Amino acid sequence: MTGGDPLAPERAISVAGAPDGVRAVGPVDEGELTHLLQHASATSQKVAVWGGGTHRRIGYDEPPDLVVSTLGLAGIIDWEPDDLTVVVGAGTTVTDLEGELGTRQQSAVLAEWPGGGTVGGAVASATSGYRRLRYGPIRDRLLEVRAVTGDGRVVKGGARVVKSVTGYDLPRLYTGSLGSLGVITSVCLKLWPLTEAVATVRVDTPEAAGAVHRPLAVLETREGVTVLLAGTAAEVQAQLSALGGAHRSCLDYPPPPTGEVSWSIRVRPSLLTVAVSRLPPGSPFVAQHGVGEVTFATTNSFEISDLRSWAEESGGAVVRVAGEGSADPWGTPPSTLPLQRRVVAAFDPARVLEPGRLPGRI
Amino acid sequence: MGLTADLADLLGAARVTEDAYALHLYSSDAGVIRGEATVVVFPESTEEVAGVVRIAERHGVPIVARGAGTGLAAGAVPSEGGVVVSTTRMNAIFEVDPVDMTAWVGPGVINLDLSAATSVHRLHFAPDPSSQSVCTVGGNVANNSGGPHCLAEGSTVNHVLAVEAVLAGGEVVTLGSSAPDPVGLDLRGVMVGSEGTLGMVTRVLVRLMADPPDVRTLLLAFETVEDAAATVSGVIARGVVPAALEMMDQRMATVVENWLGAGLPTEAAALLLAEVLGETAAVEAEAEVIRQVGAAHRAEITTAQTEAERALLWKARKSAFGAVAQTAPDYYLHDTSVPRTRLVETMAAVYEIADRHHLVMMNVFHAGDGNLHPLIAYDGRNPDEAARVRLAAEEMVAVCVDNGGTLSGEHGIGLEKRDLMSMVFSEADLDAQARLKECFDPADTFNPAKVLPLGSRCFDLSGPRPVPDGVWV
Repeated sequence: MTGGDPLAPERAISVAGAPDGVRAVGPVDEGELTHLLQHASATSQKVAVWGGGTHRRIGYDEPPDLVVSTLGLAGIIDWEPDDLTVVVGAGTTVTDLEGELGTRQQSAVLAEWPGGGTVGGAVASATSGYRRLRYGPIRDRLLEVRAVTGDGRVVKGGARVVKSVTGYDLPRLYTGSLGSLGVITSVCLKLWPLTEAVATVRVDTPEAAGAVHRPLAVLETREGVTVLLAGTAAEVQAQLSALGGAHRSCLDYPPPPTGEVSWSIRVRPSLLTVAVSRLPPGSPFVAQHGVGEVTFATTNSFEISDLRSWAEESGGAVVRVAGEGSADPWGTPPSTLPLQRRVVAAFDPARVLEPGRLPGRI
Repeated sequence: MGLTADLADLLGAARVTEDAYALHLYSSDAGVIRGEATVVVFPESTEEVAGVVRIAERHGVPIVARGAGTGLAAGAVPSEGGVVVSTTRMNAIFEVDPVDMTAWVGPGVINLDLSAATSVHRLHFAPDPSSQSVCTVGGNVANNSGGPHCLAEGSTVNHVLAVEAVLAGGEVVTLGSSAPDPVGLDLRGVMVGSEGTLGMVTRVLVRLMADPPDVRTLLLAFETVEDAAATVSGVIARGVVPAALEMMDQRMATVVENWLGAGLPTEAAALLLAEVLGETAAVEAEAEVIRQVGAAHRAEITTAQTEAERALLWKARKSAFGAVAQTAPDYYLHDTSVPRTRLVETMAAVYEIADRHHLVMMNVFHAGDGNLHPLIAYDGRNPDEAARVRLAAEEMVAVCVDNGGTLSGEHGIGLEKRDLMSMVFSEADLDAQARLKECFDPADTFNPAKVLPLGSRCFDLSGPRPVPDGVWV
């Protein structure tokens, strides 16, 4: 810890995309963050936690008094390739991390279209990527988390081993917490070896993917349905034979749909085809079959309420993931709101970190 | 009315017991620590559990949930007295959804019964602790249990989509969802593995996995333990993550073979049981990698040719702890986790500790994920030997932590390792966990004195007793 003062005038930085006129700072270690957040708590300053700025549109948008960039917390801290784990600073971009891991034929299977997004942002926003059908959501791949709480306490949860039941599961609690429980400073992630062979196959229906055991992803867009395969050369060849159809020997990840606003529909997987049938005509979308998520883009005048009512009545949700709009970004908050509020207060008593951003405006 | 009368009023006298023999049975788990149950109850529904919680709160006594009592870390031991709530009668499988591959089940459903019930759909529940023929899904949820196949499939938390739980005040909540990434904080993830300290789980939505189309099960016999450990690291380093990768040392193989006659090569210093699951082409390629790495470390390799041969190998693995009874009347089973690349040096240090204390130690463990289970066989009637077991146990945990590991890979902290938590967590870390507990259970009703050391947070200063003398890590 340097214990430097990131609030010193000469340390002011500019953060692309941050609101105009709001002070932005870039702490470089946990000591500086502690100092910064103690100060913010003492002076009741609302803090926005900013990585690559790629997930800012998730949740309610409360104007901050201070923008804290995590880009100064970048870099691989510990990587033992034979353990298939990596400890990485939260401000490391997904692209940089995956690039480095790729030099040893490994991957953290983070989102395939990360933009300038950071590893900390991927965890804080619970962004899992298309390959979660095989590798699970990001919350299942996070082994250890370190964070500085709203009142400046440095806390760690989990362990740097692939299997641990030592204490409460803070890594999962921090996953998707959107900065409200603390500024994540580093994480330990589980890695996977990149496979020998890959392929993308076009099929007629999502159900056709049932011919193969555990594909990497089954994705549907306006252009049709593809099954993504990965494994040994013989395995991929056998799966290609089972599926038939045209294929390419690469992983063809569709880009995220873009428009004035993007929504994520989350329902149990068997309802995905119904969800797709309810999308506004012509809107670009990516449906992750087997997972239960459809992301689609539309105009900000699109009325989300019918779709949302249907999803919520089916036990799911419709959540804004990008863009602008007047519609509520979360919909109905969870029934455990009072408990959620207590948990947030335990980590951020003065409620300075992303106040109001979570469902229920916690 | 008194506590027992109130409980009998709610549940009927037949499902409330203060019988001395029952209280004795329900005062310990499969480990070495004993508590003292005040009363044992057998609710059948969520509403009844909520009623039990309200009665316990009114009388100011703890609630200790209990499945099959197979835990080894005293997680279900009523160390502070109180109401032991057995989930035995909450064993319904409410609904199996073969399309979404999920099932809603009661916490008292036995792990293996769930897979048996879903096998008609070619689906199974992936967590497979060695105790799976008796342990319950509720216990698996409380401990975030593992098992050999969690190397590829992950621990219980990866297979629990939602839980219904009774919290303080008898409040019934559902945490999680059948849909991915429900909005708000992931309190499901916190509840799983919380060892009954945050509330009592009354229903579980589990994720089921498709049965694999093909399987290869290999037995590799090595001349040295180091060769076996190096093969584990070597297989992972070659980019193959098998479904299971289990190690058994010579002493353990010998006692298992004496009991089971499975044809294990007892002249080998160490055995590896490796299994790969998936498409035929994949399992053949992955099995070949395992054979190559094993051969480079001078392994004798056999492949199970029939399902019966495979089942026998797994029986040998999963019944190992029971087979130890022929060696000594008592055993103390460890559970720690280290990075897989540190297996060789950690194992060497663990053997050295046992030798130095003149103890009989044997090993059978989840080598693929670095999850060690050194087992010390001893006679608890010999106080000198018991004292040496205690010393060795503490040293073994310290060695694992020094090698970058942690206190528990799958058995949990309970009472057993509670006071060791500061070996891996700072005061601020433990305080954060204590605050989290307080959010759920401000009066400390649910399984008090477990997981977190005394004094982690101000609320427990006056409360529970310290771990009693004669109890060790």
